[in-house]
Amino acid sequence: MNIHIISILVSKDLSLFFRKRAIIILTFVGLIFYLVIYFVMPSSVDENLKIGLYSPVSLPVFTQIDEEGLEISPVESEEMLKEAVLDGSYVVGISIPVDVAEKLSSNQKPRVNLYFTPDAPQEIKDAMEVVVRELAYMQTGQPLAFDVSEEILGQDMTGTLIPPRDRLRPLLAIFIIMMEILGLSNLISEEIERRTAQALLVTPTTVTDIFIAKSISGIGLAFVQAVLIMAIIGGMNRQPLIILVSLLLGAALATGVSFLISARARDFMSVLAWSFPILIILIIPSFTVMFPGAITGWVKIIPSYYLVDTVHRAANFGSGWGDVWVNLLILFGFTAAIFWAGIYILRRKFQ
Amino acid sequence: MSIRRMGVLLSKEFLYGSRNYILVFSIVGPIIISIIISLIFGTWLAEKPRLGILDEGRSQLVSMFDDLNSIDNLEYNTISDMKRAVEIGAVDIGIVIPSGFDNSVMRGERTEIKAFIWGESMAKSRTIIGVTIANTVRELTGQKSPIEIETITLGDKASIPWNDRLLPFIVLMAVFLGGLMLPSTSVATEKEKRTIQALIVTPTSIEDIFLAKGILGFILSFFMGILILVLNKAFGTEPILLIIVLALGAVMAAELGMLLGVYAKDFTTIFAIWKSAGIILFAPAIIYLFPQIPEWIGKIFPTYYVTQPIVELSQKGGGWADIATNTFILIAIDVALIFILLFTLRKKQYTATGQQ
Repeated sequence: MNIHIISILVSKDLSLFFRKRAIIILTFVGLIFYLVIYFVMPSSVDENLKIGLYSPVSLPVFTQIDEEGLEISPVESEEMLKEAVLDGSYVVGISIPVDVAEKLSSNQKPRVNLYFTPDAPQEIKDAMEVVVRELAYMQTGQPLAFDVSEEILGQDMTGTLIPPRDRLRPLLAIFIIMMEILGLSNLISEEIERRTAQALLVTPTTVTDIFIAKSISGIGLAFVQAVLIMAIIGGMNRQPLIILVSLLLGAALATGVSFLISARARDFMSVLAWSFPILIILIIPSFTVMFPGAITGWVKIIPSYYLVDTVHRAANFGSGWGDVWVNLLILFGFTAAIFWAGIYILRRKFQ
Repeated sequence: MSIRRMGVLLSKEFLYGSRNYILVFSIVGPIIISIIISLIFGTWLAEKPRLGILDEGRSQLVSMFDDLNSIDNLEYNTISDMKRAVEIGAVDIGIVIPSGFDNSVMRGERTEIKAFIWGESMAKSRTIIGVTIANTVRELTGQKSPIEIETITLGDKASIPWNDRLLPFIVLMAVFLGGLMLPSTSVATEKEKRTIQALIVTPTSIEDIFLAKGILGFILSFFMGILILVLNKAFGTEPILLIIVLALGAVMAAELGMLLGVYAKDFTTIFAIWKSAGIILFAPAIIYLFPQIPEWIGKIFPTYYVTQPIVELSQKGGGWADIATNTFILIAIDVALIFILLFTLRKKQYTATGQQ
C-alpha cells in the first residue's frame, strides 16, 4: 500500500467526479432541494384543538373543562368569534345562544352554531360536532354507562411530539448518502469501460491502492455531504458522535453498493438503471419514521433500516449508545458484507 | 414517408426501447411521485385519528364506528395484533370491546372498555377518539342529544385541497416525462452510435425515423396520463373529453421530444435541458398550486392549454363549453409544432455522412 499513490488517486477521482456535469447538478440541486423541503415543513406540532367560545351565559363544563387536547378560549362577541376563526386563531368557533339555559331546563334543544373556515376538512367539522355534543351531554349531567381503563404503549410524548420536519431527518440523511451511489458507480464503471483501471495496474499501483482510494473518495463524498446537511438541519444537536458513526457506516454501505453496481454497469444510463431500483429499496425504511405504522416488520431486512432507526432515535429522542448499539452492530455487519462482496466482484472485474 | 418502414421502426422501438431505462423511469417515476404525494397529503399531513378495534362479542359499535367520518377504524382479531399496531403507530388508540358490552350499557350496568394508547399520538387525536367513543355509545343506548348543531362555513373563497392542487403537476409529469424524454433520448442515442446515418442510407427517410420515435413517445405519454388519472380517481364526468385532451397533450409532449432530439447531441445535454427548461413545462402546474397567482401568467406557457382542460374536466366538473377555446389553442400548438419539426428536420439535412 502506497499512501502517495492513494492520495493521487483520490484527488484524481474527486476531480473526475466534479467534472461530470449531470452528477454535479444532481448533487447540488439535490442538497438545496432537501434543505428547502426541510425548512418548509411544519417546525412544531399543534397538539391541541384551539376552540373559540362565545357564550352570553355561563356554561361551566365548556369553560372549565380540563381535558388534554382541548384549548377553549372565551371570546367577547359573535363577530369577534367569526373574525378569529377566519384569521386561523381557532379551528372552530362555538356560539352558544342566549336562551340555552331556559331551553335545556324545559327539555327543548337549543341551537348551537359552529363556525369553520372554508378550508376546514369535513372530518374536523364532524369531530368538532362530536366534541361539542359530548360537552353538552356533560353540561346536562348525563353520565356515561361505561369506564375506560387506559394503558400507554411506549413513551408518552404528549407535549413533546416530534415535528414533521424532524421526522424528515433520517430520510434526508439516507437520501444524501445513497445518492452518492450514482456518482461513485459512474466513476468506477467509466474506469472499467475505458480500461484506465487496467492501465493503472501496469504502474506500481496495486489493486489494493485502487480500492482504498475509491473507498476514501466514495465514503468521503457521501459522509461530508450528509454531515453538512445534518448539521444545518439540527440533526447533530443530540448525540453527535452516534450520528457521525452511523453516517460513516451508511457512507461505507453506499460505497459497497457502488462497487457492486459498477461491476455490472457499462455507462451512465446503465448506472442509472441499476442505481434507481436499489436507491428506492434503500430509502423505503425512512418511511417507517415518516409514516408510523405504514410499513411492518419486513423492513428490517433492508440494511438501511438500521441507519434510519439509529439516526431517528439519536437525533429525535437523544437515544444513547446503550439504546442503539445493536442497530450499529447490525449496520456494521451489513456494511462489511456488502463492502467485501463489492470489492470481491470488482477485483475479479479488474483482473 | 412509408407506413410499412415506419411500422418496422416502431416495432424495433417497442422491442429494444422496452429495455431502455428511460421507458422504465417514465412509467415508475410518476407512479412513485403520485403514491408519495397521496401518502404525504393523504396520510402524513392529514391528522385524522385512527382507532383500532378488537370486538370480543358482536358489538353494533363496530358498524357505527365505520359510518363515522371523524375517525378512521381498523379491526383486529387478536389483542397482540392490536397492541403491536398501537406500538408502531398504525393506530392512535386501540380499544377492546368486551363480549356483552352492548347489552350491559343498554341495561345501564357499569362495564369497561380497555384502551391502549400510542405514546406518540397527539392529544387532540386522543380527545377526538375519546369523545367519539362516548358519543357512539350514547347513540347506542338511545340517549338523545341535548342540543342541535348547525355548522356554518365562513367566507366565500373556495378551498382547494393540496391533493387536488398537485394533480396537474403529477399529470404533466406523467405526460411529459415519457412523451418528451423517450423520443429525444432515443434520437440522441442513435446519433451518438451513428445508427441514424446507417438508417438513412436505406430507403428509410428521416421523417420515418422521427415519426416512429414520436409515436412511441405518444403512446407512453397517453398511457401514463390515463394511468395517473385512474390512480388519483380523477376521471370526472366527461371521460371521453378528458381522453381527447390527454391525447392532444401527449402529441405535444412527443413533438417537443422529437424537436429536442433534433438539437441535443447526447443524453447529458437532454438531461441538463430537462432540468433547466423543465420549469417552462411545469410553470402552469406550479401556478395552479398557488391560487393567489393570477391565472393569466399561466397562459404564457404552452402546457397551460393541457393543464386547464384537465383541471376543468377532472376536478371542476366542467364540460366542452369550459374547455373549447383552450382545446382549440392546444390543437393549434400541436399543428404548429409539427410544421416546426418538419422545418427543422429539413434545415438540419441529415445525410449518410452526418447532419449538416
